[in-house]
Amino acid sequence: MADQTQIAAIPAPDAKREARAIAFGVAGWLVPGLGHALQRMWGRALTFFAVVGVLVFVGAGMRGNLFNSDGGDAFAALGYLADLGTGSFYWLAKYIEVGGPDVSHAYGDYGTRFLAAAGVLNLLAALHAYEAARGRKA
Amino acid sequence: MRFDLSHLQAMLLFALMISIAFGFLSRRRPMDRVKYTVWSLLLFLLFGIGIGWAMYPFSR
Repeated sequence: MADQTQIAAIPAPDAKREARAIAFGVAGWLVPGLGHALQRMWGRALTFFAVVGVLVFVGAGMRGNLFNSDGGDAFAALGYLADLGTGSFYWLAKYIEVGGPDVSHAYGDYGTRFLAAAGVLNLLAALHAYEAARGRKA
Repeated sequence: MRFDLSHLQAMLLFALMISIAFGFLSRRRPMDRVKYTVWSLLLFLLFGIGIGWAMYPFSR
């Protein structure tokens, strides 16, 4: 009897809320920080926008390797996924890096890591925005 | 636009950016964020420079 009362007290999954959370997550992936901005988490929104922006800007400026979909091997595919994590900033990096990548120097290799780290960090931020919208994190 | 950062400058910038993001991701209160960011940055630098020195005998 007591168990039945407890089960009834747990709120049913809200489809509308779930859809909203997914929308916030996708928005946060497309534009870094937007998922948090839509939830009025201004500090986090500005921070993720700035951090991902700086990493992409400097990574592209250091002529890091921005992977394409036709990489050919598993590492290139993983690199492409990581770079895609920056959302719209992927195309911004392509726009900045007019001379193409140059990993023959150490700074080009560092730039590749900067770009990949920006993507992974943005995916983490988008996941956080999704979880926050679901009420699991704040 | 082109950046020619040294190894140390690149490591400092990378560590700072990641530490700030981690601090804002994992903590809510401003002071907790600052503490977490500083602590994370110090650990990044400690491990980065430590691993650099550990590799030094094998550099030649």
